[in-house]
Amino acid sequence: MTPPPSATRPGAAALGLAGLLGLLLTVEVLPRSGVVSADYLPPTSRIVRALAVELNDRAFWRALGDTLTGWALGLAIAVVAGVVAGVLIGSVPFLRAATASTIEFLRPIPSVALIPLAVLLFGTGLGSTLLLVVYAAFWQVLVQVLYGIQDVDPVTRDTARSYNLGTWARVRHVLWPTALPYVMTGVRLAASVALILAITAELVIGSPGLGSRIAVAQTSQAVPEMYALIMIAGLLGLLINLAARTVERRALFWHQSVRGEAVL
Amino acid sequence: MRRLLTVIAVAALTVGGLTACSDSESTGGGDPAAGGSGKTTAVKVGVIPIVDVAPIYLGKEKGFYEKHGIGLTLTPAQGGAAIVPGVVSGDFQFGFSNVTSLLVAQSKKVPLKAVANGVASTGEEGADFGGITVKKDSPLRSAADLEGKKVAVNTLKNIGDTSVKASVEKAGGDPSRVEFVELPFDQMPAALDAGQVDAAWVVEPGLATIKAQGGRVIASNYVDVAPDLTVAMYFTSTAYAKQSPEVVKAFQDATRESLAYADSHPDEVRRVITTYTKIPEATLKNVTLPKWPAEPNRSSIDTLAELGRQDGLFTEVPDLDELLP
Repeated sequence: MTPPPSATRPGAAALGLAGLLGLLLTVEVLPRSGVVSADYLPPTSRIVRALAVELNDRAFWRALGDTLTGWALGLAIAVVAGVVAGVLIGSVPFLRAATASTIEFLRPIPSVALIPLAVLLFGTGLGSTLLLVVYAAFWQVLVQVLYGIQDVDPVTRDTARSYNLGTWARVRHVLWPTALPYVMTGVRLAASVALILAITAELVIGSPGLGSRIAVAQTSQAVPEMYALIMIAGLLGLLINLAARTVERRALFWHQSVRGEAVL
Repeated sequence: MRRLLTVIAVAALTVGGLTACSDSESTGGGDPAAGGSGKTTAVKVGVIPIVDVAPIYLGKEKGFYEKHGIGLTLTPAQGGAAIVPGVVSGDFQFGFSNVTSLLVAQSKKVPLKAVANGVASTGEEGADFGGITVKKDSPLRSAADLEGKKVAVNTLKNIGDTSVKASVEKAGGDPSRVEFVELPFDQMPAALDAGQVDAAWVVEPGLATIKAQGGRVIASNYVDVAPDLTVAMYFTSTAYAKQSPEVVKAFQDATRESLAYADSHPDEVRRVITTYTKIPEATLKNVTLPKWPAEPNRSSIDTLAELGRQDGLFTEVPDLDELLP
């Protein structure tokens, strides 16, 4: 739920970097030693050369921008919708009971299965990407918010009631502080899922972005270029996760799960 | 072309409502009564970024579409799963699809209308832009040897397996004994090399890649179906065909011109391919270009329809007169 305490220590960062370097080294060695054919998995050095060419291509940066736009917009919509719906459903027992089975029915439907519907509704542009991203990310947030609200301490809740706090004050001072760590977890999960879906949508539908560039490289048998773009997608995921963790720590500086880190 | 069946099911359910909405909206886009008066209509075409669609890219570059009053936008999409609903909903005015997929769609009452030729087989055995390939040291010599073997096609129940079966039959084998597996074209060279499949039906640039690894073409399935087989066509929705016949006419004329130009300028084709694909230079040099006749070959489409019927691809026999231009 919360970042492992060790993540902030410099030693851990070095270890993480070493792991990444180890992976790159493995990819360099595997094709060179003939374990896999270099035609299908080019060595890291070859991928990096293709990467350098990509970075010099204006179209690549436009594609990156398109992907990030789809990701950010989709994530924002999903988080706002998830939090609002979660607080509403979670704090009204009747709604909670009425929607529980519907949520469990809709949640496991893979976003990718909605592609034909998305194209039919929004064409092959940003709209389709957004539909898939929002659909996938929304449930991550919603479910966490629901858990969070369920977690409210009954004593606190009863105290608030006996002090005659209004609805808004209850949401603000009782619900929200309890739910926030859960919301943050939901946002962090949603941020990664949103990136996966943004790229998948582009890959499958062909809406402009990194994904469609990967698809073109794939159909063109341009293997090093394809891996270069996949590497970018991976780095993007890493950065997004790092950013989400930072936001989580800042927003929860008061919470024991984060305060605990400093003590250690 | 992948997952076309799912798409069609969804498309068929939603078509009525959606075309009703998009009809009223799309009239603002541009007046189709442009004729030659210098006014251009914005037209979006869904294409697959492969060698086959080079003429439309070339024609756009050469100004053939502009000359006919069409402001062309080409949107690369990943196959029929995105293109067919895109055309049906009016997001694209035209799309590119293989003929068998169009036949299947027609038989399922998806409101599509083929308007212009797309791409055709070279008609030369062993020198087509697609073929049945095996790896270097494979004992398979002809399509008849595929009996009991595993053959990769990009989409099951489509033009790949029906045409491969035609090859097997022609070579004297029993097509019902061939085992087909679905695999994207781009993964076929690796799968063939690793022995995961015994043979692969592949088109360019995968074909050039396999040949470069020493693989062999044992049969040209498109050639075995019919002489000068029409493989793919550009299509529109029946709603758009009815609503904007002038634009359709202009698109047909410009496409005819583009196809003829591409067919007689292979060097320019190879150059334009580098603008929308990433095919490596070394591969592109060895790519066999298809033929781009200006008109579809009706009798070859009849044959494809018959093969599809034999293979049970259609629930109802497609109405070719209604589908074709």
